[in-house]
Amino acid sequence: MGLGLLASRLIRPQKTAARTLLLRSIVTKPELQSPEPATAPQPDPTPDLPPRTPLAGARVHFPNPEDAIEVFVDGYPVKIPKGMTVLQACEVAGVDIPRFCYHSRLSIAGNCRMCLVEVEKSPKPVASCAMPALPGMKIKTDTPVAKKAREGVMEFLLMNHPLDCPICDQGGECDLQDQSMAFGSDRGRFTEVKRSVVDKNLGPLVKTVMTRCIQCTRCVRFATEVAGVQDLGMLGRGSGEEIGTYVEKLMTSELSGNVIDICPVGALTSKPFAFKARNWELKGTETIDVTDAVGSNIRIDSRGPEVMRITPRLNEDINEEWISDKTRFCYDGLKRQRLNDPMIRSSDGRFKIVSWHDVLAVVAEIALQVKPEEIVGIAGKLSDAESMMALKDFINKMGSNNVWCEGNGPSPNADLRSGYIMNSGISGLENADVFLLVGTEVIQLTFLICLGWNAWIIAVMSFTFCYFFAYELVCCFYDVLNLFFAFMFCTPFCTFSLPLCLIFCLMKCQPRVEAAMVNARIRKTVRGSNAKVAYIGPPADFNYDCEHLGTGPETLTEIAEGRHPFCSTISNAKNPAIIVGAGLFERSDKDAVFSAVETIAKNGNVVRPDWNGFNVLLLNAAQAAALDLGLVPESSQSIESAKFVYLMGADDVDLEKLPNDAFVVYQGHHGDRGVYRANVILPASAFSEKEGTYENTEGCTQQTLPAVPTVGDARDDWKIIRALSEVAGVRLPYDTVGAVRSRIKTVAPNLLSVDEREPATFWASLKPEVTQKMSSAPFDPAIKNFYMTDSITRASKIMAQCSALLLKK
Amino acid sequence: MATGAVAALRNMKVAGNSKSLEEARARVFDFFKLACRSLPSVMDIYNLDDVVTRSQLRSAIASQIRKNSHVTNTKVIDMLLFKGMEELGNIVEHHKQRHHIIGQYVLGKDGILQDLSPKDEGSSDFLKNFYSGNYF
Ligand code: SF4
Ligand code: FES
Repeated sequence: MGLGLLASRLIRPQKTAARTLLLRSIVTKPELQSPEPATAPQPDPTPDLPPRTPLAGARVHFPNPEDAIEVFVDGYPVKIPKGMTVLQACEVAGVDIPRFCYHSRLSIAGNCRMCLVEVEKSPKPVASCAMPALPGMKIKTDTPVAKKAREGVMEFLLMNHPLDCPICDQGGECDLQDQSMAFGSDRGRFTEVKRSVVDKNLGPLVKTVMTRCIQCTRCVRFATEVAGVQDLGMLGRGSGEEIGTYVEKLMTSELSGNVIDICPVGALTSKPFAFKARNWELKGTETIDVTDAVGSNIRIDSRGPEVMRITPRLNEDINEEWISDKTRFCYDGLKRQRLNDPMIRSSDGRFKIVSWHDVLAVVAEIALQVKPEEIVGIAGKLSDAESMMALKDFINKMGSNNVWCEGNGPSPNADLRSGYIMNSGISGLENADVFLLVGTEVIQLTFLICLGWNAWIIAVMSFTFCYFFAYELVCCFYDVLNLFFAFMFCTPFCTFSLPLCLIFCLMKCQPRVEAAMVNARIRKTVRGSNAKVAYIGPPADFNYDCEHLGTGPETLTEIAEGRHPFCSTISNAKNPAIIVGAGLFERSDKDAVFSAVETIAKNGNVVRPDWNGFNVLLLNAAQAAALDLGLVPESSQSIESAKFVYLMGADDVDLEKLPNDAFVVYQGHHGDRGVYRANVILPASAFSEKEGTYENTEGCTQQTLPAVPTVGDARDDWKIIRALSEVAGVRLPYDTVGAVRSRIKTVAPNLLSVDEREPATFWASLKPEVTQKMSSAPFDPAIKNFYMTDSITRASKIMAQCSALLLKK
Repeated sequence: MATGAVAALRNMKVAGNSKSLEEARARVFDFFKLACRSLPSVMDIYNLDDVVTRSQLRSAIASQIRKNSHVTNTKVIDMLLFKGMEELGNIVEHHKQRHHIIGQYVLGKDGILQDLSPKDEGSSDFLKNFYSGNYF
C-alpha cells in the first residue's frame, strides 16, 4: 500500500465517525453526567490502609490534647485539633485539595469554590477551606460529586479567562493552568465573547493583565492583611467584578512584589521580568539576600550568566514566604556599573586597566611604605564574614588595628553579643505584646492628602452599596450554580474594604524601610494579638496603630526615669519588646542612649530568663558578623590620619576628612561612591556570585551560594586579600574557603553553624556604668531612601524608578 | 605539501590495542615523527612563521607527550595516542584557527597571562592560580 493511499484513507471522511460526531452532544466527562452523592453507606475503612504522609510537611500542633477531634478523609482517620478547616484536615491526611483563593497566611475568603469536597450527609458539596471540620465528619475528596463540582468551577473560571498562556509570564507556574489540566473538562461549552477588563497601573513593579484575573481576592487580602496598605480592593459585581485601586493610584507598599507570587494566575506578574524568560529555562539557586540585615531567604533564578529574577523561599523564622521589593527587584543592579578589571588611576585622573599582577604589586608597595598606624581597612555593608576575617587579619598583620565595618559607628560595642543582635528573634517578636521602637522609624513622611479623592470615593461607595444590595436580592433567587456562591461570598468583602479605604487614603504612609520583613512581623503581631506599639523618633507613619511618644532622647530619659505614662504600659506587659535602631550606632552619645534603653529594659522587666525583649535592629547584612569577628577600630579618629585606606566595598564612609595624599584602594563590585576617591580598583564578586557567610540581625548565620559566574576579571573578596597579603609579604595562612572558615571558628564559632540562630548568652548587666551625657539632638532617619541603600540597589534602574515614583513627596 | 600530510593522516588506520609497553612506546614515537613531519604544512596553513619556529613547535609537542610520561597502562597510552592523533588531524585539516594554535602551542598555559616575572618564582600555588582566574 502506497503512502498516498494511506494518506487518502486518513483524509477521506469516514461515515461512522462523522455520525458519532454529530450525535455526540458536548457534555462533561460521561461518567460525571449524573453523579450519585456518595451517601450510600460505604464499607468501613479497612484498618490496614497504609498511612499517608501529610502534605508539604504539614504539622499539627495540639494546643490542648482534649481538643483533638477525629475526622475521616477518604476513609482514613486523622486526628486534628478543633477549629481546623476541612481543607487543613485533608492536608494533614495527605490529600491535596485544589484551591485558588485559600492561602494559609491570609484570611479565608471562600470565593473561588475550587476546593469543593463532598461531606457525608451534607446535601451539597462544601467549600472545604471555609468549613470547620466537625468530629466524625466523613470527608470524600475523590468522589464523582467532588470531581464534577471541580470541573464545573473550572469551566466557569475558564469562561472568562483569556487563552493567552503562550504569551503569559505565569505560564508554567500557573495554578489555573495546572489545575485545569488536572481537574478541568477536556472541552468548553462557552461560545460567547469573553469579557475583558481594563489593566490597572500598579506602579513600576507589578504588571497587571486584569482580564486574566479570577477574582480570588488573594492580592486584596495580602495588601490589607500583610502589607497593611488598603490600596487594592474589589469593585463591581458579577461579570463586572474587578480588582483595582479604586482611584488612579499606584500600589505603595514595600511588600507589593509578593502579590506576584500569590496571584494564582497571570493577572499580576513582575513588570521588570515581563517577557524576559520562561520559568522552565531558569536555573534556581537557593541563597540569601544581603540588601538589609534580615537575610531573607531567596532563590536567584538565572539564565546563563544573567540573574533573571529573585523569588522568596520559605523560612518561617525569618521572612515566612514574603520578601521586600528591594530584595526582589534589586537584581538589575547586578548588571550595571560593574567593575570588571583591575584599574589604577593614572596622573590625568583617569583609570587605566592593568593586570592583577601589576595592581597587587602597586598596592603592596604603597602599603609597605606607610606607617602601620596609618593603615585603615573598612568593610562594606555587603561584605561576607570570610572576607571580613581576611581583611582584619591582613590589616592586623600589617601592624594596624584600624579595621571596622561601615554602619557600626566609631566605637561599637562588640563585646556583648546581646547588645547588638535581636535577642527575641524575628519570629519571637510575635510573642511580644508591647513594642517600644527607639530611633528605628525611618519612614518618609509622605502625606498624600488628596481631598479630591474623597469625594470621588464617597460617590462610588454610595453607588456600589445600592448596587450590591439590589444585586444580592436578585442573586438569592438564582441559587442554582456554585459559581454564584463565589460572587456572593465576595460581597461582604467588597462592602468592607471600601469604607476602610476612605480612612487610609487620607494618611498614606510609606514603607518602614530599615527591615521591611521585621516590620511585617510586627504588623502581624499587632493584627493577631492587638499588641501595642510605641515609637520614639522623627515623625513617621506606620502601617499599624502606633503611638508616637517623642522625637528624641528626652522622651527616652523620661521613660527611663519613670516619668512617662508609657512606663506603666511596659511594666504591665507580659512580653514587652524594645527595638533599637542601629542608626543610633553612629551617634556620638550612643553609649548614653543605650544605657537609657537598658534602664528601661531593667525597670520594665524586659529581660528575663524566659524572655529577652531587648532588640537591636541592624541595618546592613555585614554588621552582625563584623561585630562577631571583632572588627572594631582602635581609634575613632583613624580616618583623619590615614595614609592607606582599604575600602572593601565600603561606599558610605565619610571620606571628607581623609588627607589628600592618602592612597585609597577600593575593592568591590560596583563603581559606586567609593570609587570616586579611589586610586586603585580591585574588582570583586557580588553576593550572587560567591559563597559567603552572613549573619542576620537576629544572629542567624546563613550562606549565599554562587548563582552566576563573576563578571570580567573579578575575584572573590577573600581571595583578593589573601593574594595581596602574599604580595605584601605578610602571607595569610589560608588557601581555601574551608581554611578561612576554620580561622573564623577560632574567633566566632557561631558563624559556622549555618541556618541556626545562636542566641546571645550573657546579658548586658555586666556592663560598666556609662558616664556619657545624652545630647538633645533628635534621632535622625537612618535610611534616606528605602529603595537605594547600597551599591547594588543604587545601580538598579528599577529601584531608581521606584524611588522616583513611590517616594515622591 | 599540505595535501600530502592530509593524505598521510587520512590513510592512518586506527590501530588495535598495543600488546605491550614496548609496542605502545614505539607507537608514541611514530606519532611524534608524524606530528613533526606535518609541522611545515601546519606552519604554512596557519601562517606561523612570524610567531614561532619549527623547533619551538617541536618541543611544544614533545612537552605535551612528556606530560604523560608517567603513564604505564597501555590502554591509557593508546587512548592518549588516539586523542593526540585526533588533535593532529584537526590541526592539519584546518579545523582550527590561528589563535587556537597560538594559544595552545605557542603561548602555552601560562604564556597568555604574561604576568609571570621571574620574581614570582617563589610565590605560592594560590597566587599563581589567583592570577589565572577566580575559580580554582
Ligand atoms: S489579581 Fe490575581 S490575586 Fe488578585 S484577585 Fe485576581 S487572580 Fe486573585
Ligand atoms: S479555596 Fe476554598 S473557596 Fe477558594
